[in-house]
Amino acid sequence: MPHSIKGDVVVIGGGPAGMAAALSSWEAGAKSVFLLERNEYLGGILPQCIHPGFGLQIWGEELTGPEYAEMFIEKLNRTGVEVMTDTTALELSPERIVKAVSPQGVWEIKANSIILSMGCRERTRGMLRIPGARPAGIFTAGLAQYLVNIAGYLPGREIVILGSGDVGLIMARRLTLEGARVKMVVEIKNSLSGLVRNYVQCIKDFHIPLLFSHTVTEIKGKERVESVIISEVDEEGQPLPGREKEVSCDTLLLSVGLIPENELSRQAKIPLSPLTGGPWVDEDFSTDVEGFFACGNVASVFDLVDYVTLVAERAGRAAVLPSPSQEKYVLQAGKGVHTVIPQRIREGRNGFLFIRSQKSMRKVTVSLRGKDKIFYEKRISICRPSEMVKLDLSEIPWPQEKGEIKVEIRGTEIWGIS
Amino acid sequence: MSEEFDVIVIGGGVVGCALSWYLAHFDLRVLLLEKELDVCSGVSKANTGIIHSRSYWTPHTLKGEVHLRSLPWIKRAEKELDIEFLKTGALTVAFSQDELEFLYTLKERGKIEGAEILTPQEAHTLEPMMSDKMFAAYYDPETRVASPFKLNIALAEGAFLNGVRFIFGQEVVGFEEGKNNIKVITKEGEYLSRFALNCAGLSSSYLAQRTGENIPSLQPLRGEYLVLDKECKSLVHHVLYPVPVGETKGILVSPTTDGNILVGPNLEPAEDEDTSTTKEGLKEVEEGGKKLIPSLPLSQVIATFSGLRPTLPARDFQIFFSSRFPSLLHLVGIESPGLTASFGIAEYAGDLLQKKGLKLREKRSFLFRSSFPVFRELSWEERERLIQEDADWGKIICRCEEVTVREVKHALLSSPGASTLDGLKRRVRVMMGRCQGSFCGMHLPFLMAETLGLEERKIVKSGRNSFYLGGETKEVTSDASFY
Repeated sequence: MPHSIKGDVVVIGGGPAGMAAALSSWEAGAKSVFLLERNEYLGGILPQCIHPGFGLQIWGEELTGPEYAEMFIEKLNRTGVEVMTDTTALELSPERIVKAVSPQGVWEIKANSIILSMGCRERTRGMLRIPGARPAGIFTAGLAQYLVNIAGYLPGREIVILGSGDVGLIMARRLTLEGARVKMVVEIKNSLSGLVRNYVQCIKDFHIPLLFSHTVTEIKGKERVESVIISEVDEEGQPLPGREKEVSCDTLLLSVGLIPENELSRQAKIPLSPLTGGPWVDEDFSTDVEGFFACGNVASVFDLVDYVTLVAERAGRAAVLPSPSQEKYVLQAGKGVHTVIPQRIREGRNGFLFIRSQKSMRKVTVSLRGKDKIFYEKRISICRPSEMVKLDLSEIPWPQEKGEIKVEIRGTEIWGIS
Repeated sequence: MSEEFDVIVIGGGVVGCALSWYLAHFDLRVLLLEKELDVCSGVSKANTGIIHSRSYWTPHTLKGEVHLRSLPWIKRAEKELDIEFLKTGALTVAFSQDELEFLYTLKERGKIEGAEILTPQEAHTLEPMMSDKMFAAYYDPETRVASPFKLNIALAEGAFLNGVRFIFGQEVVGFEEGKNNIKVITKEGEYLSRFALNCAGLSSSYLAQRTGENIPSLQPLRGEYLVLDKECKSLVHHVLYPVPVGETKGILVSPTTDGNILVGPNLEPAEDEDTSTTKEGLKEVEEGGKKLIPSLPLSQVIATFSGLRPTLPARDFQIFFSSRFPSLLHLVGIESPGLTASFGIAEYAGDLLQKKGLKLREKRSFLFRSSFPVFRELSWEERERLIQEDADWGKIICRCEEVTVREVKHALLSSPGASTLDGLKRRVRVMMGRCQGSFCGMHLPFLMAETLGLEERKIVKSGRNSFYLGGETKEVTSDASFY
């Protein structure tokens, strides 16, 4: 292999997770850290997220995406972390060898620890199997965000957005400000997929109609999109006959979910959770394969970049420390819970537990149940699938006995925005 | 219009391109006129890509005759076009005693060495995921799979390399008979030739009717498909056919040359050549697929599409000279197995032209096409060597299919090159992977504009007005209804 190198830590992916992980590995004493990024610049999706709202949780300050990224880029510049942009990792072996390409050539990097931070991709029209024509004018919301904020182009002029995920909500506002007309946002569920603050600031303040329990059932148009058929759906998400309406538009934007990108993880034979779509991890974001860590959206799609930073810092530190003890507890998503991350707990002394509920609820009790016994409960006023519940592991009185623990959420279900 | 051609081929689908490539073997001046902006833009762009073996030919038909004539060409095409016909073999699956008879018909019809009727146990060793409900299966080792786009484009490139001229955006609107020639009239111009071939696919019947032929209109029959992620590559290794009901081969499950799995097609009449998929149609394809592979992982579907079969009521090909324009040859109703039969059709049509006086003198030097390297298929050593030659080989623009900037530039600058995003997709597989262009869609239009010296906002997906971008940001709209 032409460019063969060795490192303490190799981080794959230079988005928010990768940047924080590389930085904390370096700060924890790694002698050599390589940060691989396929784009020409670091930051992942942050540079195109020009809206504010990042950093409130960890710095108490509202930054834009580029500003948030820049804080890390500046810090990285003051370290010995080797940043390799324009470099795409193509192969990953369980023996911790990464093969990558860049305009300089082919790279083979052997590492003591590998941190996976490849992020996620957007769900597409094909995956949803939306019937109809295949004209120009169908975009995922993140792609549209790039076109508007980085490339300086509108994806179209008359826009329907499917899905009330955060990128879709943010784009509804951006496109309106840039001179396009966002005709409506339709959401198949009966509640919001994104953050409430994004609904208020991007949809409500701009008087954009948001239709719950509706979906797009057909796309029409020969060359560009000409219209979409939207239909009301029942509780199972099935279109109700006779409840269709044709909406003319030249663009359909999809904001219908994100999928952790784990093609490399699979090559390294790292077991993945069917619930999160990412590797099973412990509180240090160590995977089930020794020497591999996974942090950020590659492990589970997070709601806030701040949380991604928090978990990546833990992964970065742990990647330079000796392998810790065996896991004591395995957490499972119980009643009312969509996902929990981490799913493994070794010590439970420090770190965080992130829980995503299945439904929007108020008067909520989060509980941890050991062998038929609840050993921890926390009451919160409200929870939504779009906003993770974050618990401090140190608050939890872990039982003596090792084993399975069920995480449950109970409460009164709520609909819509309220 | 001083130049006169020997043959003008109307239509750049697989039939038109196969004919051009075949005729390019001889000392002839050939021109191909295509209505769209690229070859492989109509019927040829959406089908299974299967090269059906002898077992699947239809006796007593023209389509059967040209099918058989085509098969010996496969080896030659592999050499001359540098293209892969993946020899997967096929299993036709019977689910009852009644269907068993059909398997024997196939075996008898093909007389293929190594072909046999398998018990469910035997078939399961070949395809472990196949339904337990199967009664027996016919195994045929000769079935192959091609990429419909790659074949069509390789034929076009091979033709171009040997002197065939291509002009795009030329919709033929009429003909005029000259003394010893025929004038082909398009919306944009006029072209003179000794012979003209109507390979216009879905428009072929219409064009023939316009020249006074008493031929029925084509009924476009739509077939819908599901494409599964490459992660499912090991799901099936052979083409799996059900026992057909009626005139089609039924909903099959097939590997592709690129590692995806294809499920489909169903069959339904399409109005106005509409290639929209429908909820019911996709459901039917899903169920058809599940009949063969009950565990079909629908969560791994990355794309759906549909294609059209340009069928005549008699469900056979019709290849005949125009009664009004003696030097105009019509090729109408070229539906399945049109891709398989394309070489045979070319040879058959060539014979007809020869009988009418066209001299087929073999060229002294016919050039073989060689395909451009495909980065994802190269060894690490080859990758390193190419990157050192040109750094664009080290820039991956499509992460799902691992396509480099170098390959995209080549597809744009080759001849006939890609002039649309779909053209790029069919040449190098950008936007065809699991993210369906959500990532490379950020860069491709701009790389394309830069490489071809076009305005960015003029970049189109496929048709002339299928603009990818909707205008610049902060542009003042003149749309009064906005306010």
